[in-house]
Amino acid sequence: MTDAIEADDIDELIPASHISLTEPPAEKEACIEYLLDLLVEAGRVEDRETALAALLERESETTTGVGMGIGIPHAKTDAVSRPSLAFARSEDGVDFGSMDGEPATLIFMILVPASGSEDHLKILSSLSRGLMHEEVRDDLHAAEDEAAVQDALREAIA
Amino acid sequence: MSRERVVTIVPEAGLHARPASAFVKAVTDHDAEVSAGPPDGDLVQAGSMIAVTSLGAGQGDDLRLVAEGPDAEAVLDELERILTTPEEELDA
Repeated sequence: MTDAIEADDIDELIPASHISLTEPPAEKEACIEYLLDLLVEAGRVEDRETALAALLERESETTTGVGMGIGIPHAKTDAVSRPSLAFARSEDGVDFGSMDGEPATLIFMILVPASGSEDHLKILSSLSRGLMHEEVRDDLHAAEDEAAVQDALREAIA
Repeated sequence: MSRERVVTIVPEAGLHARPASAFVKAVTDHDAEVSAGPPDGDLVQAGSMIAVTSLGAGQGDDLRLVAEGPDAEAVLDELERILTTPEEELDA
């Protein structure tokens, strides 16, 4: 099993510019593009179309809606040169087709370089482990600014 | 009736993506409570995708499965099949 990511990694993985506190598009693919654009605008993505194709390909394999109101679209792609995380939350919920039928209200995007296979599982598992706790999900819903989201994530993976 | 076994993960992607969704679906399709985790660590609910994702179980890792209920044996057989089938041969 993989090691956890550490609280110190949060600033590098998900600076404030990767966090949106406004309502994302209600449809899954549009929501994925919305999250991707946070990373594109932050300068993390060298090739938007390649990254989008990788994300949608992964989504076509099986949904990244993991239940409990959480969606984690993710991909390994050389469109990024370092691991990057983005976050958006939805009041209305986005239908990610998750097995428990819950629309996603906390949505994360993970992009890692194609060679960084360990990073990929590590970030995904650390994030999932944290998000299983109700207080972490509550903190993310209640966060009033980007710094509060980062604090909740540091707590989540501590 | 409680049954358990340890299975080494074969798919290249690990317990992730299609193998993970086939795994969770198999659990929810059977009449059994199943938990899963590292052989020497805490187990999580195997019928929850986020819990299974939290394990970060990769190719070559050993996974301990514990099942309880009328379908315990059947669900372990099915989970072992999923965990030992290369991803491209998995039809779920």
